[in-house]
Amino acid sequence: MTNNKQYWKGEEDLVRDPSFIQASKNEFSEGLPLEEVLNESDFELSSNRRDFLKMFGFSVSAVALAACNKAPVRNAIPYLIKPDDVTPGVPNYYSSTCGITGMPIEVKTREGRPIKIDGNPRVKALKGGFSVAGQAAVYDLYDNERLKKPLRAGKESNWAAVDKDISKILNNLSTAGEKIALVSNTINSPSTLSAINDFKTKYESVEHIQYDPISYSGIIEANRMTFGQAVIPSYHFDKADVIVSFNADFLDTWLLGETFSVDYVSRRTPGDDMSKHIQFESALSLTGSNADVRYPMQTRNEGMLLVSLYNELAQLNGVNQLPVVGQADVAGQGVKKTAAILNKAKGKSLVVCGSNNPKNQGIVNAINSLLGNYTSTININNPIKRYAGSDAQIQSFAKDLAAGAYAGVIFYGSNPVFDTPYGDSIAKGLKNKIKLSISSCSNLDETGKLCQFVTPDNHFLESWNDYQPLGNLFTLGQPTISPVFDTRQMQVSLLTWAGNIGEYNTNTLADKGIYGEKQSSDPYYNYIKSKWAVDDKTFNTYLHDGYVQKEDIPATAPSFIANAVDMAASIEAESKQNKEGIELTFIEKTGIAGGKMANNPLVQELPDPISKVTWHNYIAMAKANAEKLGVKDNTVVNVTIGKDKFAIPAIIQPGQANGTASIHLGYGRKVAGKVGKGRGVNGFASINGGEFTNYTVQGAKIEATSEEYKLARTQTHHHIEGRDIIRETTLDAYKKDKKAGNRYEKPQVVSLWYEHDYQKDGAPNHLWGMAIDMNKCTGCSACIVSCSVENNVPVVGEVEVRRRREMHWLRIDRYYTFNNVNNVDYEDAVSEVNLVATSADFEGDKITKEKALKAIDHVEAQSTDPTYAHYENVSVVHQPMLCQHCGSAPCETVCPVLATTHSTEGLNQMTYNRCIGTKYCGNNCPYKVRRFNWFRYNDNAQFDFHFSNDLGKMVINPDVTVRTRGVMEKCSFCVQRIQSAKLSAKREGRKLEDGDVKTACQRACPADAIVFGDLHDKNSEVRQLFQNERAYSVLEELNVKPSIRYMTKVRNV
Amino acid sequence: MKKYINVQSLIKFTVFSIFLTLSGFTYGQEDAAKGKELFDANCASCHELDKIAIGPALRNVRQKYDDEWLIKWIRNNVALRKSGDERAIAIYDEYNGAAMNVFANLSEADVLNILAYTDTEKPEPVGDPEVAGGGAGVDPFFNNYTKYLLVVVAVVLLIVFIILLRIFRELKQLRRQAEGATYDDAAQSWWAKNKEKFIIVNPTITILTGFTAFAALLFLPWFFWFGVNKVGVQQGYAPEQPINFSHALHAGELEIDCQYCHSTASYSKSASIPSLNTCMNCHKGVQGLASEDGKPSEEIAKIYAALDYDPEGKPGERFGPNKKPVKWVRIHNLPDLAYFNHSQHVKVAGLQCQECHGPIQNMEKVYQYSSLQMGWCIDCHRTKGVDVENNSYYEKLHASIKEKLHSKDSAQYAQQYFNDGKLVITPAMNGGLECSKCHY
Repeated sequence: MTNNKQYWKGEEDLVRDPSFIQASKNEFSEGLPLEEVLNESDFELSSNRRDFLKMFGFSVSAVALAACNKAPVRNAIPYLIKPDDVTPGVPNYYSSTCGITGMPIEVKTREGRPIKIDGNPRVKALKGGFSVAGQAAVYDLYDNERLKKPLRAGKESNWAAVDKDISKILNNLSTAGEKIALVSNTINSPSTLSAINDFKTKYESVEHIQYDPISYSGIIEANRMTFGQAVIPSYHFDKADVIVSFNADFLDTWLLGETFSVDYVSRRTPGDDMSKHIQFESALSLTGSNADVRYPMQTRNEGMLLVSLYNELAQLNGVNQLPVVGQADVAGQGVKKTAAILNKAKGKSLVVCGSNNPKNQGIVNAINSLLGNYTSTININNPIKRYAGSDAQIQSFAKDLAAGAYAGVIFYGSNPVFDTPYGDSIAKGLKNKIKLSISSCSNLDETGKLCQFVTPDNHFLESWNDYQPLGNLFTLGQPTISPVFDTRQMQVSLLTWAGNIGEYNTNTLADKGIYGEKQSSDPYYNYIKSKWAVDDKTFNTYLHDGYVQKEDIPATAPSFIANAVDMAASIEAESKQNKEGIELTFIEKTGIAGGKMANNPLVQELPDPISKVTWHNYIAMAKANAEKLGVKDNTVVNVTIGKDKFAIPAIIQPGQANGTASIHLGYGRKVAGKVGKGRGVNGFASINGGEFTNYTVQGAKIEATSEEYKLARTQTHHHIEGRDIIRETTLDAYKKDKKAGNRYEKPQVVSLWYEHDYQKDGAPNHLWGMAIDMNKCTGCSACIVSCSVENNVPVVGEVEVRRRREMHWLRIDRYYTFNNVNNVDYEDAVSEVNLVATSADFEGDKITKEKALKAIDHVEAQSTDPTYAHYENVSVVHQPMLCQHCGSAPCETVCPVLATTHSTEGLNQMTYNRCIGTKYCGNNCPYKVRRFNWFRYNDNAQFDFHFSNDLGKMVINPDVTVRTRGVMEKCSFCVQRIQSAKLSAKREGRKLEDGDVKTACQRACPADAIVFGDLHDKNSEVRQLFQNERAYSVLEELNVKPSIRYMTKVRNV
Repeated sequence: MKKYINVQSLIKFTVFSIFLTLSGFTYGQEDAAKGKELFDANCASCHELDKIAIGPALRNVRQKYDDEWLIKWIRNNVALRKSGDERAIAIYDEYNGAAMNVFANLSEADVLNILAYTDTEKPEPVGDPEVAGGGAGVDPFFNNYTKYLLVVVAVVLLIVFIILLRIFRELKQLRRQAEGATYDDAAQSWWAKNKEKFIIVNPTITILTGFTAFAALLFLPWFFWFGVNKVGVQQGYAPEQPINFSHALHAGELEIDCQYCHSTASYSKSASIPSLNTCMNCHKGVQGLASEDGKPSEEIAKIYAALDYDPEGKPGERFGPNKKPVKWVRIHNLPDLAYFNHSQHVKVAGLQCQECHGPIQNMEKVYQYSSLQMGWCIDCHRTKGVDVENNSYYEKLHASIKEKLHSKDSAQYAQQYFNDGKLVITPAMNGGLECSKCHY
């Protein structure tokens, strides 16, 4: 061990659960389910020699018969008139904007089909990286459950009829002066807002209501109170030396997570410049898992802790303190230490808070003001425009709707029946005799189902649009495919009903096409262009770049006008209420976008970055609480919040603060497609609404039941069995010794193999290698989704994930390690267990079990702390794990049919058409990165996740083979991209440059943690990184010569 | 366009001609095989053997006309018509005055060869792709392949029938025993009574049976291997296409560059079937032969129909909205597991289309010339040279080879890298045989 920390992935791993150890010895959790499959077709059979002979005989004759059969006739249908810019076999790239995350994107299309979305590399803030939801959104385009036509009273209709009816009713309502609501999430598109204004001009009684399922109205209100500006300021994590976050998951779901990740990571390279990150939070978030110091805290104490922090800072700066008594618990002590650190970094620090409570946010503003951050790390003059929803508006709308105050309501891209706390009253209002209800949902959702009309909106890849994510940043969205179904952009629908679409219907395309083909400009394209009011050339430049960056707006310090004393007093009053029961927080989950992406199979199958649970939500509980209630992983618990009661499976989450629990939002869709429907519990229904939605509820009662729901959880799949694969150190140690944490005595190298010529430095071939910086990797999982989309990795579903059969070529291993254990001997005991268990592994199962159990007793006796404080206080390492393309690969030597071999470019090649599925390679891989295809996922009705229908297949990358049943697969280092980059260089007669090849995971990484390149190229970045002092190979002692090196994790503690 | 002489096809033609000679299909010194070549080169653009094309069908034309007249007509039909020959004028009128070219370059012997070719018997129509290949790559075994298989199946069924019969007898016997009947010699089967004779007494039958079994054991694996090797191989596949586009006319006679139509071959993975707007570059003007009264020819009319083009319409309004795509039949079907890129071979390697696609400039109807099996790919990767000298991409490789050739082991390397005094760096030497170069 290079340090004496014990790393573990899950409870069963930590306590060396004997059954788990036994199971993890097998590479595959179970054998071939032949009988099961056959039984399903009412076919009782037990395999024996005779059956084998029968099958063998059958295959011989089948082959003979196939040989004399005529091959099936395949057609090739070329373009009748080939568009100039489309060449079969050559991808096109378009700049656009993601409709889910609002980020500028680059869309890859093949033969007119979008097949991959990446971040727009020209936008500096993003560096080309992009989040999970956006990466996965391309699958939604080819969802065959999307609405194919407008609906009227639940039945398919046509646009002309629907438009006629809607316009008539709107006219009637408007002339009668009856109230009509247009309910949407925040719209930060200037042109859409102007279209809504046109609509409102025509129908004067229309009222536009904006809300956000995950609301930021607390921040907006706080800035109004404290600075007189009702905005969300922009935050600059790259300018902060010290970052303190209270419950803000700013690397993942909070505000502009992707942008913040880029900024944050730019300061995480070890050295004098490295920032320090302190996180106070109740649930372990992705951001918290990256923090240098993390203090578990109950959310109800958040306000008081903020006030204490203010007071500490005030004291240090000789300013008047707030008249409130601080806290004395762990977090309270943390606040004291934090204040001292913050005070040293005045003007170069940043305090953020995830709360939606304007008073808490007000205190945060006070702290940042006191620290002088408003001229450096926070810019209130250049606000974030992504969120502007108002909780108060949607609350009063729900109340009024239920009371019958609205005659008409239009839901534009919103689903408030599902994603607000007022679902029931809105549903009730819609069921009442409302005169007009329209929803623009593209898949029928909870709200759409209750509406008279559904006018399905286009997917964002089929639409024109513009956005304003920041005060000085505008982005454009352009369609990359014609609408797949008979859908229409909602903006066009609004303009049609307003009766002024006609003036934009003129065809602005000069030339009709010499072959008489239909070529017309989209009316909304004309509309946007008229609003932007620039000449064609400028507009086309904007469209090409995908964004327009206006001049910088300098940050100036606003004057603090609020009464902090009043805020503190009210925080203190609130904190005294309701301290009984468990505090339950509803949090966002990576990629699921508050339920909008719940019907996306890629998002559902993506393991949560922290808990590694897929396909379901759960209640994450602290060890101490769970132990007391008799709750174990997968126990179904009954949760009672006031009148609300629901059952949900539980997990024990290390890092979860004592007395708290958390549940992910976005699950429990009742009306959705086959993927999202009925998975988990809808947390929105249990949230307390109000002027400022509070996502934390106090006094939840939790009772264990005898039921169990086995969550499909990947955390201990592909288990590394306690081997030393993580290196980490502290910044102080690193500054003294650059190899700190990475001092490792190499074993004497004895190899069966000669070094190949191509491995020698200076050889003329490429030698591909990858460097992964564990200090930069935040664990955001965008790479996993990107890899899956690029390489046609199938989605296997919940049942198969439970069987350890997920197909992801790239996984992110999340390791926990205890920080300051109360009982000092704990770690020793754990390693003792480890020793006993591993040595006993060789002596047969019985002894293993006994010895292990004894050792576990020993550990339990030693850790007498009933509060399990050490469980609350864990630190986390994220390690992306993929095929290491070993120079002396263990998998290659055991393949009986040479299906996996080595290339002279250092690639471990997997040849699917040779593979006969012995799975020897998977068994012999020390990194456990090989995946076996148990089924024909692309053509099997049981795996109905896009790949098994014709429309869904459109997303398949034509350059990568779709693997069939019975073969092994694994990361190929995106060999299709390598080959294509090499070919471009050859065609152009030039050398291959560093950076010409970017793997899908590298391209997606917002943190730049993955660097890929040619190790034989003297100037390549990856070669420099391989020589870095922090670089190490995982399991170097096996001498398999991996082509991937990791960088030691350095914590700035 | 590069002239391409294929040794294999020459051998085939030779074999074919010997076959024809032996079969007595020829008259005197006439050579039907040569005649076919001449026919394909000179006549095929207007005539077919069995179908009226632009001109009449020509099979057994000798039964209608005598050789002397035919020679005159073919070599100079214009002169013959001017001389007032009735038959000549009649045939000219019958085909609406479509003028036939004058073939003064053909000798009398050539014409006789062509006529010999028109005498050959019509081959049996066969649906198999292997056979439909216009004379190339036909394996006679596979013509009767299905028949052989049927025989095998019949034999197997017979054996099964006999076995079932025996089981039936045994069961009857058992039932009798169960019913208490004594074991009766008379009820025993003929086989039971006589089998000892066969096994011990009659060694000939035993040996014969053994031999047959042994032969079957040898034959079956061979049969299996042969079958496996033919699965999915469509060499010679020449399906009917929706438009009878003639490469012989366009690429051969008119010498249009391949990449004029297959324009993406040099920069894309696929050479792509040209879209009809490419056809229209010429066929807006070229509408068919004068013989068709100014009407577009049948095949060109198909292009017009697909594009909804009315050549008579007002300029600017000739294209209508009812366009219908053309469903070509794919000839070259590489399996999905193999990645092939045209630009790699056309642009980087500078190969001629014919090296893989065969004498495409002579193909009236395109057929799959190469087997497209992996061994066929590999053969080429082992022998063809890569231009490492003039492409900067290979700079490092080239330098290292030069270094090796100047090292003390230069003799050994020279043997490896030189072929006929020329530096040949094959793809195989640069990893071109590795799996993931094509399979990913």
